[in-house]
Amino acid sequence: MKRSILLIAALALVTAGYGQTPAAATPPGPSVAVTTNDVKNVDTPSAADRLKGDPGGALTGTVADVAVGDAKKGLTIADALNQVGQNKVAINFMWTLITGFLVMFMQAGFAVVETGLCRAKNANHTMMMNFMVYGVGMLAYWLIGFSIQMGGVGGVANLGGTPPLNTEYAITLFGKSFGLFGQHGIFLTQGGTYDVGVMVIFLFQMVFMDTALTIVTGSAAERWKYAAFLLSSFVLGAFTYPLFGNWAWGGGWLATLGTNFGLGKGYCDFAGSGVVHSVGGLSALALAIIVGPRIGKYTRQGKPNAIVGHDIVIVLTGCFILAFGWFGFNPGSTLGASGNGNLRIGSIAVNTMLAGMTGSFGAMFYMWMRYGKPDASMSGNGLLAGLVAITAPSGFVNTVGACIIGLIAGVLVCLSVEFVDRILKVDDPVGAISVHGTNGIWGVISVGLFADGKSNYGGSWNGVNGSVTGLFYGDASQLVAQLLGVATLVGVVFTMTFVVNLAIDAVVGQRVGAKAELEGLDLPEMGQLGYPEFELKARTVGA
Amino acid sequence: MVFAGIAVTVLGFVISLLSLSMASSVTARLIIVLLGIAVSLFGILGMINSAYLKNAIWRKQS
Repeated sequence: MKRSILLIAALALVTAGYGQTPAAATPPGPSVAVTTNDVKNVDTPSAADRLKGDPGGALTGTVADVAVGDAKKGLTIADALNQVGQNKVAINFMWTLITGFLVMFMQAGFAVVETGLCRAKNANHTMMMNFMVYGVGMLAYWLIGFSIQMGGVGGVANLGGTPPLNTEYAITLFGKSFGLFGQHGIFLTQGGTYDVGVMVIFLFQMVFMDTALTIVTGSAAERWKYAAFLLSSFVLGAFTYPLFGNWAWGGGWLATLGTNFGLGKGYCDFAGSGVVHSVGGLSALALAIIVGPRIGKYTRQGKPNAIVGHDIVIVLTGCFILAFGWFGFNPGSTLGASGNGNLRIGSIAVNTMLAGMTGSFGAMFYMWMRYGKPDASMSGNGLLAGLVAITAPSGFVNTVGACIIGLIAGVLVCLSVEFVDRILKVDDPVGAISVHGTNGIWGVISVGLFADGKSNYGGSWNGVNGSVTGLFYGDASQLVAQLLGVATLVGVVFTMTFVVNLAIDAVVGQRVGAKAELEGLDLPEMGQLGYPEFELKARTVGA
Repeated sequence: MVFAGIAVTVLGFVISLLSLSMASSVTARLIIVLLGIAVSLFGILGMINSAYLKNAIWRKQS
């Protein structure tokens, strides 16, 4: 044993000492002014060469491909610079759109995770909620939500400036301006928002918003009335989510806590542990309280019964889909890959995968030690908890911080599930409150602890010069800004969702009848079974 | 009880928000914000949820 340790230590020393010897730094060359004449003299592949094809790729993408503004003048330095600017924005457009497409695919992951964790008799209903929440949320966000959230964000330099998003409604409080909601962007036409950059940011923000909405369907699954789900999701996508999104990301009052009150760099939530996951998780808590536990979940003495899901295979498949989509969620939140420190996308992607890994380990080992088996669904929830927690700090922490954050999240989700289930007696079939609510809040707080002050996105964050730095690296005020975000989530976002859903409960009712619930919601609510042949077979054998 | 819980939940947020004007030191603000969060959590878990638990469906099961 001792010999093995010595061997490993020796290998580590060799690797550290010789494996990564840095190359000698090249001294910077003298600066040279480039003129239009220089541009004109660049060699161009001849037409004859191009006709032969370009198997090696050396003749494609040269000066001949730079657009010329005035054919009479030929290629000028202005043409070359315009092409550089366009290329930068094009790279950022592509990055933001493709990562947005990845985030959109997370809807599929959520759908199968939630459906797998529910019983087969509710499969169609659960899938339909996850399917239609995409459309309902998008409609609400296009109509009004995007305008409220991003209508006053100001310039997004990575995407070409987005100048039309420039009108924020603000009040004065404590002698400072408190931005409350944006006013440009209704229907993506009002206020000059028929703009290519605005379209890109709309798509990216829309899929984030839909992620928050789909979290809620999990906690209220197996007893939520479909009509109530549609109404509740619409209001969440149109108003509740966009309001907090504005305060955190749209230039609202939480983002300006740094400039207005000297609290670090203001509330920092890189990719949405708070904006997306806590909003979704706290809304899930509000809904689960209002609809109440499923029939049979608790005995008359209040002792919880385990109601197991019907397909652990699709649950874990869904977790992998979500982990894949998270590479869009976090690295995509730079809103670009070129300029303004955006090359940090590599670090963000690695932080994301590491935190997911430690999260799954944390949950698996906790369950193994406590209950004697490495629980599959909780291991999946541990992975998701790690990913949720790293979402806010992913852009600001190093890999060690990411691993610690994920590990804590993995254990925390198990403790939280037990607390919600046994102490609060709130029935959450998929663990949405713990995965997204509890760990979303943990993610927000962890920024204030673990941000290492090494990130630099264009020299400032939320209008405050310097890098985001947490308590462990010397700035306690950042933690206060983060906690103010938590206070807003718990005190305002929860309340808004709760009151809205209380009103919906009074008007249309939130919960299905007992008969429908016992029968399964597929037929009473959707008119079609999720697994008709499976059901037929079960009846045939009398099970 | 539910509406009182809502009021206490919002009160917690107001306490946290007031830290911005009541104190200037980081430590004082930190304490006030934490107090506000605790009040909000009490409103949600201790009042709103408790009110719903009194009429929970499992208490009525035969």
